[in-house]
Amino acid sequence: MDTAPPPPAASAAPAAVSAALTETNVRVTSGFRGAGIVVYGAVLDPHDRPSDVVVVVRGPDQPIRIARKVRIAGLWLNSRPVVFQGAPGFYMTASTRPLDQIAGFGTLRRLGLGLDHLAINAPLEQRTETRYGVRDVVVSRLGADYLDWRRAVLRLKEKAGLYDADAAGVRFVDKSLFRAEIRLPAEAPIGRYQAEIRLFQNGQEVAVRERDLIVEKVGAERALHQFSQNRPWTYGIVSVLIALGSGWAASAAFRRS
Amino acid sequence: MDLYLPIAEVSVNAPLLMALGALVGFVSGLFGIGGGFLMTPVLVFLGIPPVVAVASEANHVVASSASGVITYGRKRLVDFRMGGVLAFGGVIGAFLGVEAFRILRLLGQADLTVALSYLIFLGVIGALMLSESLGAILRRRRGEPARAPRDRRPMWLYGLPLKMRFPRSRLYISVIPPIALGMFVGVLSAIMGVGGGFILVPAMVYLLRMPARIVVGTSLFQIIITTALVTVLQAGRNQTVDIVLATVLLVGGVIGAQLGARASARFRAEELRALLALIVLLVGLRMGLGLFITPQDPFVLAGGGG
Repeated sequence: MDTAPPPPAASAAPAAVSAALTETNVRVTSGFRGAGIVVYGAVLDPHDRPSDVVVVVRGPDQPIRIARKVRIAGLWLNSRPVVFQGAPGFYMTASTRPLDQIAGFGTLRRLGLGLDHLAINAPLEQRTETRYGVRDVVVSRLGADYLDWRRAVLRLKEKAGLYDADAAGVRFVDKSLFRAEIRLPAEAPIGRYQAEIRLFQNGQEVAVRERDLIVEKVGAERALHQFSQNRPWTYGIVSVLIALGSGWAASAAFRRS
Repeated sequence: MDLYLPIAEVSVNAPLLMALGALVGFVSGLFGIGGGFLMTPVLVFLGIPPVVAVASEANHVVASSASGVITYGRKRLVDFRMGGVLAFGGVIGAFLGVEAFRILRLLGQADLTVALSYLIFLGVIGALMLSESLGAILRRRRGEPARAPRDRRPMWLYGLPLKMRFPRSRLYISVIPPIALGMFVGVLSAIMGVGGGFILVPAMVYLLRMPARIVVGTSLFQIIITTALVTVLQAGRNQTVDIVLATVLLVGGVIGAQLGARASARFRAEELRALLALIVLLVGLRMGLGLFITPQDPFVLAGGGG
C-alpha cells in the first residue's frame, strides 16, 4: 500500500466505508443453536491510504446484577448485588488489528469502543452520598474496588460467550473488500442489535456505517414467550392442566399395560 | 437434536434431557418420591437458569404426582381429608415461598438460599434415613427381630385445639400440626423446586403417626395441590415457567417412573431406603459444597434481571 503522505488535495476527498450484513433477521426457532453473522463491505478511498476496519455488534442493553462472594463465618455468601447500567447484552468486536494499535486511548474512550472502554457504570452505587447506618452504605466499598467490579462484569460476560474481541476478525479479501464473521451464541439476548462498521485511518475514525440486526423468536417460540408475558396467569393454569392431563394419561396407560 | 427453550432462552440437547428425565423418573418410581430434589440440580448443571429450573420443575412434579395419586386413589390409599388439610397449609406456604423467593432474587441471595436449603434439609434427612436403614439392615443380617414400631403418639398432638377426625388415617388430632407441616413444605416447594415428599413422608409417619400405606398417596395428593399452585404463582408473578422444558422432562419422566415402580419390587424396603438416603445425602452435600470451597471467581452474575 502507498505509505507516502497524501497530497494536500486528498483531504478534500475523504475515505468512506460501505458495508452490509448477509442476514438482518436472525430467527430463533426451536432448533436455534446460534448464528453466524457475516459482515462484508468495502473501503472507498481514491488514495488507498492504509485503513483499519473495526466491526462492532452490540445487543440490546441489559442491566447486569453482579455480586461478590464474601466469606462470612466460614461460608462463601453473596454480597448485596451491584447493578451496572448501560451494559449491552451482547458485545463483540472484530478488527483488522488489536484495537489499541488502531487508535489511541483517548479516541477509543471517546467512542466507547472495545471492551476496555465500554461505557458501563453503576449509577446506583455512585450516587450514594448518604449517611452511615442508612441502607446504601456502599460508597466506600465500590469506591476503591470499582475497577475490580467492572472487570468482573466483562470477564463473566466473556465466559458466557456474550462479550468478545477478535483482533483478527476482519480480513481484507481484496485490496478494499473486507469480511468479518460474528458468532451469535444461542444464549444471545432477543432484541434489536446494531452493527457498526468503523473505518480508521492514521489513528482517527474517518467513516462509520450502522446496520440494524434483529434477533427475534418466531413461530411457536414467539407465541409461547408472548403468551407467558402477556397472560402469565392463564399460561400458568394451562401449564398445570397439561401436567395434570399427562399425569392422568400416564396412569391410564400404566393400568392397561 | 438441540431444542431452544423459549422461556429459559437457552438451547439444550433434547434427547439428553429426556434421558435424564427418564433416569430421575426411574429413581422417583423406585422410591415413591417426586424426584424434584434430584432434577432441579441436574437442570441447573445443564445451564438452565436456576429460577426457571425451580419453577418448571414444580410443573413437572405436578405431572408425576398426578399419575401416582390416580393409581393410589384406585386402591383407596389416599386420605383426601388429611391431604386437604395439609394442602390448606401448603397453599399458604406456597404464597409465602414465592414472595420470599422474589425478595431473595432481588437481594441476590436466591442461589445461596437454594444451596443452603438443599444442604440442610437433604443433609439432615439423608443422614437420618441412612442411619435408620443401615441399622435395620444390620439387625436383619444378625438375625435380630425388627424393632417393633412405637405406637405411642406424641402427647402434644392431643393437647392442641381444633381437633378433627381423619377416618381413613384412623386419627383424631388437632389440624394445627398438619397445617404447619403443609405450610413448611409449601415454602420449600417454592424455594427448592421440589415436591417435598422426602420431608412430608417421614413427617407423616413419625410425627402424625399415619398408617404407612396411606402416607405416600396422601403426600402425593397434597404435593399436587401445592406444586400446581406454585407453578401458577411462578408463572404469574415471575414468568419463569418453561412449558417446553416441563413437557420434555415429563415425557422421559413418565416412562422412567413406570420402569422404576416395577423394579422396586425386586429390592428389600430397607435396602431401598438406604440407597435413597445415600442419593439424598450426596445431592445435599454436592449442592452445599459451593458454600465451603473457595470460588474460582469471586464475582457472580446475580441474574434475575433488574
